[in-house]
Amino acid sequence: MKKLLAFLLALVMIFALAACGQTEEKPAEAPAEENAPEAAGDEIVLDVIICQYGPNTNEWFLGSGMNGTNFVAKFEAENPGIKLNLEVVSWNDVHQVVDTRIANNNPPDILNIDTFSEFVPDGLLMPVKDYCPEDLYNDFFPAFIAESVIDDTVWAVPDLASARALFYNVDLLKEAGVEVPTTWAELEDACQALLDYYGGEVYPWGIDMTTDEGQACFAYYAWGNGGGFVDAGGNWALNTPENIEAVEFAVGLVQKGYTNPNPATETRYDLQDMFAAGKLAMLLTTNQLPTYVADKGGNINMATAAIPANEGKTGSSVGVMDRIMVFKDDAAPDQAKRNEAIGKFLKFFYDPENYVGWVSMEGFLPAVNSAVEALVASDPSFGAWLDVLGSCQFYPAAKAEWATVRQGVTTVEQNALIGGDVKEGLDALQAEVAG
Amino acid sequence: MNSIHVKHKWEPYLWLLPSLLLIAIFVVFPILIVFKLSFSEITPGGVIGGFIGFQNFVEAVHLPPFKTVMLNTFWWVLSVVGLSTLLGFIIAMVMNQKFRGRKIARAILVFPWATSLVIQASIWNYIIKYEYGSLNSVLLNLGVINQAINWRTSYPIEFIWECGVGIFVTVPFVAFCVLSGLQSIDGSLYEAATMDGAGFWSKLWNITLPMVRPSLTVSTVLNIIYVFNSFPIVYTMTKGAPAHKTDTMITYLYMLSFYERKKGPATALSVIGFLILCLCAGIYMVTVMRKEETQ
Amino acid sequence: MRDPELKRVNRRFLLLLILGIALALILMSLPLYSFNAAVYVKKSPNTFVGDEKYLAAMEEVESVAAGYRDQGFDVEISEEALERVNSKGEKTSLITFTIQESFSKNLFSFLGCGLASSRVLTLILILLGLALACALLGTLVSMDLPQRSLPRRTALLRSLASAALLLALLLVPVFVLTNNYTFSRQISLYNKDLLTEGKDLLFAKLDRFLFQGGMGSGIDNALSQMQMQTSPLIWVLMPALFLSLLAAVQLRRGSIKSALLRGLLYFFVVVVCLITLFPYYVMTITAFRSNAETLDMYFLHLFPTEWLWKNLTSIIQRGVPRYLLNSLLVAGGATCVAMLCGIPAAYAMARMDFKGKKAFLGFVIMSQMFSPVVLLIGISQLMNTLRLNDSVVGLMLINAAFNQAFAIWLLRGTFVSISPEMEQAALIDGCNTTGALTKVLIPMAAPGIVTALIFVFINAWNEYTISTVLISTDINRPITVGITQFSSFNMIEWQYLFAASLLATIPVVILFMSIEKHLTSGLTSGGVKG
Repeated sequence: MKKLLAFLLALVMIFALAACGQTEEKPAEAPAEENAPEAAGDEIVLDVIICQYGPNTNEWFLGSGMNGTNFVAKFEAENPGIKLNLEVVSWNDVHQVVDTRIANNNPPDILNIDTFSEFVPDGLLMPVKDYCPEDLYNDFFPAFIAESVIDDTVWAVPDLASARALFYNVDLLKEAGVEVPTTWAELEDACQALLDYYGGEVYPWGIDMTTDEGQACFAYYAWGNGGGFVDAGGNWALNTPENIEAVEFAVGLVQKGYTNPNPATETRYDLQDMFAAGKLAMLLTTNQLPTYVADKGGNINMATAAIPANEGKTGSSVGVMDRIMVFKDDAAPDQAKRNEAIGKFLKFFYDPENYVGWVSMEGFLPAVNSAVEALVASDPSFGAWLDVLGSCQFYPAAKAEWATVRQGVTTVEQNALIGGDVKEGLDALQAEVAG
Repeated sequence: MNSIHVKHKWEPYLWLLPSLLLIAIFVVFPILIVFKLSFSEITPGGVIGGFIGFQNFVEAVHLPPFKTVMLNTFWWVLSVVGLSTLLGFIIAMVMNQKFRGRKIARAILVFPWATSLVIQASIWNYIIKYEYGSLNSVLLNLGVINQAINWRTSYPIEFIWECGVGIFVTVPFVAFCVLSGLQSIDGSLYEAATMDGAGFWSKLWNITLPMVRPSLTVSTVLNIIYVFNSFPIVYTMTKGAPAHKTDTMITYLYMLSFYERKKGPATALSVIGFLILCLCAGIYMVTVMRKEETQ
Repeated sequence: MRDPELKRVNRRFLLLLILGIALALILMSLPLYSFNAAVYVKKSPNTFVGDEKYLAAMEEVESVAAGYRDQGFDVEISEEALERVNSKGEKTSLITFTIQESFSKNLFSFLGCGLASSRVLTLILILLGLALACALLGTLVSMDLPQRSLPRRTALLRSLASAALLLALLLVPVFVLTNNYTFSRQISLYNKDLLTEGKDLLFAKLDRFLFQGGMGSGIDNALSQMQMQTSPLIWVLMPALFLSLLAAVQLRRGSIKSALLRGLLYFFVVVVCLITLFPYYVMTITAFRSNAETLDMYFLHLFPTEWLWKNLTSIIQRGVPRYLLNSLLVAGGATCVAMLCGIPAAYAMARMDFKGKKAFLGFVIMSQMFSPVVLLIGISQLMNTLRLNDSVVGLMLINAAFNQAFAIWLLRGTFVSISPEMEQAALIDGCNTTGALTKVLIPMAAPGIVTALIFVFINAWNEYTISTVLISTDINRPITVGITQFSSFNMIEWQYLFAASLLATIPVVILFMSIEKHLTSGLTSGGVKG
């Protein structure tokens, strides 16, 4: 007994000592900017937070996923005097990490995330013009840049994008004699025909109303019914009859048994897995689906089509864009130098030599013109997707209440799934954000 | 008398000092910050503004899902703590019997305790999936069922699953606490009772329960706190979907803070939770202390 | 005739035994399984009523049916039309032609067919016969003898009878499950071409069994739409056999109750262990699966077809050992600090009288009442001030602090339960208080200390929320945070996630198991005094 105890205590001591030793050597390894002594001299340290997009993200930035080296090492070798303190954070935790750092007045220098509008009213972000080199700025798709404008100032640059469309399993539809639907009515016909033909074996239509993706579901149907999040003037217009009809239609599909059984908890991964296994006939999802299915070892004969719209309405492709933004750092000793370093970071990141690898690695679509050529050369299907991307509508992420709306529409949908009233929910949401 | 003599009045405080410092710095300081935050304005971006009185609390109480969430939390704590105490007690009684393989059985019982909650939650989420869940897989391959079963058809059932997982991870702790109490019971007590003609139930009621009550109370109080604050199970399995119907307070305030970016009410909600727990623990402390004094 | 009462008892149970077996045999000859085989199915997809496709399909079906009638099958054609009016107002229909044959089988017909379930049934019958023979032999020889004075051979025969019955009883659900598996799952998998091995053999057996060899090459078609129904009567078999078992147990020894209780105990333990281990089974098999196999929609395999050890090597390449080491450092360090601070505090609480004792206990419990999620902002601010963010030491201290309450509570209880006489003696001998604690009390309270140690270790090992925010450098991440890289925006790599989880669980479980004995004894002394 005593021996065991002594052994354990000794073990613990060793760990503790080892840990202390480790931290002693740590500052030399990777000094955090705010901890670094002012005397660090010429060296500039940039805190960067990148979101975890796929299995390769971490490897590409920090491991050996970039032809044997990684982003950080290559950047630091090419740009002496700038150090990157780069962190890859999972999407589940990233808001928690960023918000905590902001609350403690210690935001990262460069952040890659989906939303930006909540940071603008507090004056946390720097205008893009301050740090982005002119030639790079002109390289971004203008339509993308326009999505990050608040009060005539550009606050973030697009990082990458994805376009969403209707994917369908060609074989399943063909066998049941079903045409690809283009309108809502045809969609219901197709679903019914598939349901009749396959019984419960195949789900005709995939719907994802989970807490993370409910806003996408809202967009697919509301935009396909001439509605949307905002009106022509850019003001919130959530409780329009079109939107109510759209949500009711989507929920109706679930209630008629055309869809996967648990839309509120079956995530995009589940749906894509079902599609890859031939269990799901049609699905609205991102252009990365083919890559996903191939990675998962699925062998599905799939094709894409436009997202069905209501009779007489023109639908719209749904685009999703993530952004890179830069936080102010009033404590930085030399602002001009910091801006220059950030500019170098962006130049390096968007350099086709690096950027093409980054975008194509996870099957995303690019945000800069200079990458298009190389991407289309590597995979012809990119060309078609870039066309789709050109006609996409994006979420109104530049509006300050976007976070509330995004959760709000999801809650309305989920509520409707269990029998709640759509109009009531949208009315309340509209009153909250517009009132 | 159980105490030893100390030379100086201040000596006991010296002994407490390291622990006191550790808690004060690393736990109490953040708690104070939370209190301060709950009375401050917090912007959606996360910047902390000035004092705004009870506005956050008022907002928190008036949030539409507040009632549902409080009720869920109540059921969550009640069912998880209650049922795991009951189950843990029964398992401990069984594990206290002498039988072949008892050592192995006890070691197996320890597993759920030794695995992180995040992992447990994702594994159970994976198990009860309809489409490629392992539960369906095993039952199908054994021939027990002919067709995959949708184990989570509606939100009450999902909530029951969440409670079930909560119970699964809590039972070992209770079982081992009770087991320790059972092992301290003198066997002669039972023999005497058997001589007096006492049956199983009467022995359970008159000997076993009173003897394990102290360890049961310890485990129950700690469990109430841990279960109330438990976050990964609900978050991993449903994220509160649909429409906060499966949220408990702690997951709801997380969603409120990081998804809806209403950080002020979220902080206020956490203080409310703290007060509720304080109330429960206070009542417990008073009763236990009184009992200890009378002993 | 030494004891008529005994004889009557023995007779009664013998009768019960025979009755049970007879009942089982009668049940087996009833038509328990009914089959509805749609020997041919034609679906005309989405045609308009009365158009060419419909007529062509009908013609085809008629000719096929005629073929079956020629072979002597008594078949029926059913036509099911599902009519819909689509959104354009056109009427479409989905017509299903089915040629059906229905029949029933009793259990004895399973005997000769050579299916897996038929072997199980044969075994059941043999066991039943054996039990009956043994029981008859054993009982008839010694009808008048009291239990205690049975000759050895008779006792042996009776044990044999009860064992055979028990086995037969256990095989009944096995039989039902095998049947179920063959007829509803295996066939459907073969028909979807998901399984190929052994298909011909199984289908030949089924052809012989179901259609007396008449279906030949058409067997695939016939089986694809076959429905099987088991009569609930089969579950009457169970009680019948159970009755026999009871009788056998009674024949063997006096108390059914104690035997049943014992059985129940083992049953309970086994069930609890199985449920507990189930997630770990899932974790293990998933960890070794290939990406494609995690996507196996038809649940083909209980175990991976190929155990991919390279899953383990890939996660090792992706930084998992480093994360494990960090976790070990954090948990070990936290345990150390928690003990160094907790033991003196618990000692003071247990052995000294001072003002504010209750307040301190209240303070300690209060420190537990906020979830770490809520405290993040404060903790992060503190760590920035202390220059401890992104460091293993910071995490260590935080974890130690968060576990003070449990450590102090447990240790205090342990110390209180140990009589202070030894320390008092040591103090009189000129030892100071520190000496009394380290030389006398700590060795005696070792089990309690080990318990507290392990609790703190596990809590710190499993901590997740604070680490996500506090640690920003990849190489400083503990394992709980490190594994989040396997569930990203694009894809959840279940096999890697679970392989890493398994690696994270194993060290703790080993530690725990090696210390389990001390754990219970430690809680004994700790828990009881509250």
